[in-house]
Amino acid sequence: MNDSTFKFEFSDLNLDVRQIEMVMGYREGESHEAISDLIAGALIDAESFCELKAEYRIFSGIEFNPSEKSVKIAGLEFSLKKIVFGQLRKSESMAVFLSTAGEKIGEMSRKAMKDGDLLQGYIYDVIGSEAADGASALMQEKLKMAAEMEGLRITNRYSPGYCDWNVDEQHKLFHLMKDNFCGITVNSSALMSPEKSVSGFIGIGREVRFNKYTCGLCDMKDCIYRKIR
Amino acid sequence: MNDILKLIANCVENGKIDRNTPYPPGMKGQDGADELTRLALDSGIKPEQILDGALVPAMAVVGDKFSRKEIYVPQMLMSAKAMNGAMKHLKPYFSTGETKRKGKVIIGTVAGDLHDIGKNLVAMMIEGGGWEVIDLGVDVSSEKFLKTIDENPGAFIGLSALLTTTMENMKKTVAAIREKHSGLKILVGGAPVTKEYCERIGADFYSPDPQGAVNYLKQFAE
Ligand code: B1M
Repeated sequence: MNDSTFKFEFSDLNLDVRQIEMVMGYREGESHEAISDLIAGALIDAESFCELKAEYRIFSGIEFNPSEKSVKIAGLEFSLKKIVFGQLRKSESMAVFLSTAGEKIGEMSRKAMKDGDLLQGYIYDVIGSEAADGASALMQEKLKMAAEMEGLRITNRYSPGYCDWNVDEQHKLFHLMKDNFCGITVNSSALMSPEKSVSGFIGIGREVRFNKYTCGLCDMKDCIYRKIR
Repeated sequence: MNDILKLIANCVENGKIDRNTPYPPGMKGQDGADELTRLALDSGIKPEQILDGALVPAMAVVGDKFSRKEIYVPQMLMSAKAMNGAMKHLKPYFSTGETKRKGKVIIGTVAGDLHDIGKNLVAMMIEGGGWEVIDLGVDVSSEKFLKTIDENPGAFIGLSALLTTTMENMKKTVAAIREKHSGLKILVGGAPVTKEYCERIGADFYSPDPQGAVNYLKQFAE
C-alpha cells in the first residue's frame, strides 16, 4: 500500500440541513424553520469556502508494547493508553493521517462573528467541523479500499486527545507528517491550524477489526456527538 | 411588568430583532426589539428599566432553556441578536454613565488556544445578564489579562480553553492573576475543563454552560 493524498469536493460529503441540525443538538422531529433556512444557505456558501484535503502515510515495522500500552512507529513511541491501544494492537502497519476543511471556512466563521452575526458564524463553524470530520471519513474509505485490494482490513480512526490518549502526542505525529500535503501545522499547545483539522491513526492488518465508536468509553457526558453517533 | 417591557422581552426570547425579521411567523410584520426599545425610551421609560425589566429577564429565560436543553445554540444566538437590536439604543446611556451596568467582566480564550465559539457564547450571555464585557479574544497571554485588570479594577475574569494542553495555560493565567490580585473572582469553562480542575488550579467557579456563569455572577451585581 502506498502513501496517498486526496482532494475532495464539498459535495462528496453529502452534508444536508438535517445532519447539521443534529450536530447542533436538534433531536428527531425537532427543527426551527428560520435556522433550517440559514443552514441551507450556509451549506451553499460552504461549497466555495471549504477546501477539503486529506493524506495518509503508511508505516510498517511497527512495534506494540503491551505493558506500556504504546506503539513505536519510525522510532517514535506513542503512548496510546488503554482504549486506543486495545483497538490498534493487532495492526501490522499503521496509516497516520491528517485531514482538513481548510482555512477559509474558519475565517468566514470568525468574520461573521466579528461583524456581530454570531449565528451565521456558529453555523459556518459547525459546517467546518463536519467537513473536517467528513474529509477523514472519505479518506478512510479510500484506505479501506486500498487495504481490501491486498486482502487486509482496517480499524476505525483514532486521534490524539480522545480516549485518554494525550493530545500532546500530536507533536510526534507531526514528525511523521512533515511537509504534509494538507498544509496543517501544530502549535506548542498541540492545537492545529487550520482549526478545522483532524489527525490520527488507522490500524491495518489481517486480524484487525473495525469497531464503531462507543461513547460509553469516554468521560464526556455532555458531548454533542454522544447524542447523534 | 409594563406592557411594552413585556413585548420587548417576548421579542428577545423569540429572536425577533426588528420589523423585518420574518420569524416567529405569528409576529411577522410587527415591531421587534429594536423599534420597541426606541419607542419605550421615547415614551419616557428609563434605560435601566428596559435593561433590568425586559432584556436581562428575557436572556435569563433563554439561558435556562439552553441549560435544560429545551433550545440549542442557534436559538440562543437569535435571541442575542434581538437583544443587540435593543442594546444599541441603550449603549449611549452606558457610555455617558447615565445608566450603570452590573459590573465588568474581562473574558478571553487562554494563551495558545484559538477556539472562540464557546467563549463568544459566554460573553454574549453575560452581556445579556446586564454586565459590561471586555472581550480580549483568543490566545490571550497572562500579561494581557493583568494589564486589562489594572485598567479595570475589580472586574471579574472569565477564562475559556478547548484542549487539555491549553487548559494548562489556564492554570498559569490563574496563578499569575492570583499573585497580583488575590481577591478577584475567576470563572473558567470549556470542553475539557471540570469542576475538579477548577478547584485544583484555584479558580473560583466552573460552569459547563453560559447561564451557569451568569447565575454565579448575579450575587455580585452592583
Ligand atoms: C468563563 O466561563 C466559562 C463558562 C462556560 C464556558 C466557557 C467559559 N467556555 C466555554 N464554555 C461552555 O459554554 C459554551 C457553550 O455551551 C461551551 O463552549 P464549547 O466551545 O465547548 O462549545 C461550542 C459552542 C461547541 N463545541 C465545539 O465546538 C467542540 C465540540 C467537540 C465535539 C469537537 C469538535 C466539534 C471538533 N474537534 Co475536537 N471536539 C471536541 C468537542 C467535544 C465537546 N463535546 O465539546 C474536543 C474539544 N476535541 C477534542 C480533540 C482531542 C480534538 N478535536 C479536534 C478536531 C475537531 C473537529 C475539527 C472535528 C471539530 C472542530 C474543532 C474546533 N476547534 O473548531 C482536534 C483538534 C483540532 C485543532 N484545531 O487542533 C483534536 C485534537 C483531535 C485530533 N487529534 O485531531 C477533545 C479535547 C480533549 C483534550 N484532550 O483536550 C474534545 C473535548 C472531544 C473529546 N471527547 O475528547 C462550553 O464549553
